[in-house]
Amino acid sequence: MEAVIDVSGVEKMYRRKVHALRGVDLQVGAGEIFGLLGPNGAGKSTLVKVLMTVIKPTKCTGSMLGEKIGDKSTLTQVGYLPEHHNFPKYLTSRQVLRHFGAMSGVDRQTRNKRAEELLEVVNMSEWATHKLGTYSKGMRQRIGIAQALMNDPKLVVLDEPTDGVDPIGRRDIREILIRLKDEGRTVFLNSHLLSELEMVCDRVAIMVHGLMRQQGTIDELTKERSGFVISAQSQLDSDAISAAQKAVGGIDCKVSEAQSDLRFDTQSADRVQPAIDALRSRGVIIESIGFHRPSLEDLFIKAVNEHPDGARPGAQGAEKGARS
Amino acid sequence: MILMQSKAVFLDAYRELNAKKLFWLTLGLNLLVVALFASLGINKEGVSFWHWTFDNQFMNTNFIPKELFYKIQFTAWGVPIWLSWATTILALISTAGIIPDMVSGGTIEPMLSKPIGRIRLFITKYLTGLLFVGLQILVFAVGCLLVLGIRAGSWEFGLFLAVPIVLAFFSYLFSFCVFVGLVTRSTIAALLLTILFWLAIFIVNTGDTIMLSQREGAILQVEDRQNDVEVQERFAQKRIEQFREQGKPIPGEGDEPLPTNATDSLSAVNPTLTTARDRLQETKDSVPTWEAWAKRVYILKTVLPKTQETIALLERHLISDDELSDLMQMGANGQSANEDEPAMADPRVPERVAEIMRGRTIWWILGTSFAFEAIFLGLSTLIFVRRDF
Repeated sequence: MEAVIDVSGVEKMYRRKVHALRGVDLQVGAGEIFGLLGPNGAGKSTLVKVLMTVIKPTKCTGSMLGEKIGDKSTLTQVGYLPEHHNFPKYLTSRQVLRHFGAMSGVDRQTRNKRAEELLEVVNMSEWATHKLGTYSKGMRQRIGIAQALMNDPKLVVLDEPTDGVDPIGRRDIREILIRLKDEGRTVFLNSHLLSELEMVCDRVAIMVHGLMRQQGTIDELTKERSGFVISAQSQLDSDAISAAQKAVGGIDCKVSEAQSDLRFDTQSADRVQPAIDALRSRGVIIESIGFHRPSLEDLFIKAVNEHPDGARPGAQGAEKGARS
Repeated sequence: MILMQSKAVFLDAYRELNAKKLFWLTLGLNLLVVALFASLGINKEGVSFWHWTFDNQFMNTNFIPKELFYKIQFTAWGVPIWLSWATTILALISTAGIIPDMVSGGTIEPMLSKPIGRIRLFITKYLTGLLFVGLQILVFAVGCLLVLGIRAGSWEFGLFLAVPIVLAFFSYLFSFCVFVGLVTRSTIAALLLTILFWLAIFIVNTGDTIMLSQREGAILQVEDRQNDVEVQERFAQKRIEQFREQGKPIPGEGDEPLPTNATDSLSAVNPTLTTARDRLQETKDSVPTWEAWAKRVYILKTVLPKTQETIALLERHLISDDELSDLMQMGANGQSANEDEPAMADPRVPERVAEIMRGRTIWWILGTSFAFEAIFLGLSTLIFVRRDF
């Protein structure tokens, strides 16, 4: 995998008190949509800001688009939409796009042309001459995304792009993300909306308490907890459980806390048939049988629960600290 | 790319100013002041305003040429009162928020994520703050040039010197304002602390004038009293000679005793000489004290921006030393110090103080002021470069 972002051991300590990033390793491949998720205070925005040179890391090795992190010239090829952005309200959307295009080093002719194209892409052409002060949050978000694309970037970093956007707007943004991927760009998404990420991301990473806990494709991450689940009407006794486990041989079997569900670590329906027979022969009433694949939300909650420090109030200071 | 980015920052600053009502209000007020300036006139009888004439025995064309009259108005209130006070306050209100707004959450991130260095971004933004004042002064200077040209027939392009001079004056305050704005991230704090700082400079300036006036007053008084003592001594000497001619005994000579209040023969024959000598000594003693205070204030002024002197540079350029001397003499004509009045009240003192002020070098005035600005701007830049947003 050709890495667009390849960093390791990223650390950020605020005022020698708050350890926002504790040695983050991250690889984002070229042309993929990468999703970064984590609870509040996990350090997601801090990591993004480190990549965007908004924050100086305490320690960081690695590169972005082949250049060292912190190299300003790399940013000519990067588009960035910050969380809670506040673009000048006295400018029209056309002026905003042209302004940030110029700041990114795009020549006048190209930025004028590109501004019109992007206004079209984000469905804001009709509002091109209106000042941002008159826009709704969703409209501002669309302009923010367009602004991030003004320099025709190879890498697009979007921090909570669907924040404040209605369902139709979210769908539009999803379509834009897929289009960016189709154009060969790499998209780095930072979002709370797990279902959104699940729909568009090729790979995701879960960050908790300043550390990357899991990283991979959604398939890779969910494979561990997927399998056939047999649900009994009532609690299973230990005899029935051991009989079912014995019947499937070497397949790993996990029992739910209520002792009514058995999850077999296999994707083959054939392999669980003996377990059904064993349970039925002991008079167990089977309520349902089905293949279960955990959602991103399940993985997220699992990661947070495994590292409860990530959800503690003190840890939220890490993200707040980033803005103070 | 550097030029393109800087141009974009300036264009954005212009649009921001354009969106502010205060910018247009200040511009409107500038034009109003120019209109008032144009309404003023001078003729043989006195000063005119529209079609009214106010008779004045000094302010008329017999004493002051039209051209000088307008220059005096421009340098006496146009620049020091209108541009240096009113416009500056309005400019500070308009620009105090530039840095706190820029570093606020949501605004700074898109800027920093662009391929522009932090130092360049900060300095460019700082310069955009000066744009406000630059435009206002330029409008005012053009207006005044037209007034002087049309009303007095003198096209004094030296008026444009007001642009860099007032801009320099504003930049001293703005560097402090930017520093406070960056540290506190608060527009209100930046504005209030800058105005307080300005007030402190004003107090130091006033202190400087007072100390210089006291010192010069004391020196003049020493000169006057020295003359007085010499006159009294000559008078006493004459009396002694008269005594000798008349064969009268001279106190203090030979066996003739001195009166109790006399220190020598001269003071014995002229009792007022003792008082004159005492007063001279008393004044001589006060000179080192005022000199020490004037020096202390001067040192303090050296490290602070020279707002008053910077503005006075314009007057130096527009009004020649001869013209100034004539004007000062008109004010102090025939007047001399009254013995019982404090030294400062001597009408020659303001002239001496003005002379000292004019004698201060441009390098001292601008050099130390720009050094102050550079230090604050440097500190602000350092903070901006090192800070995490």
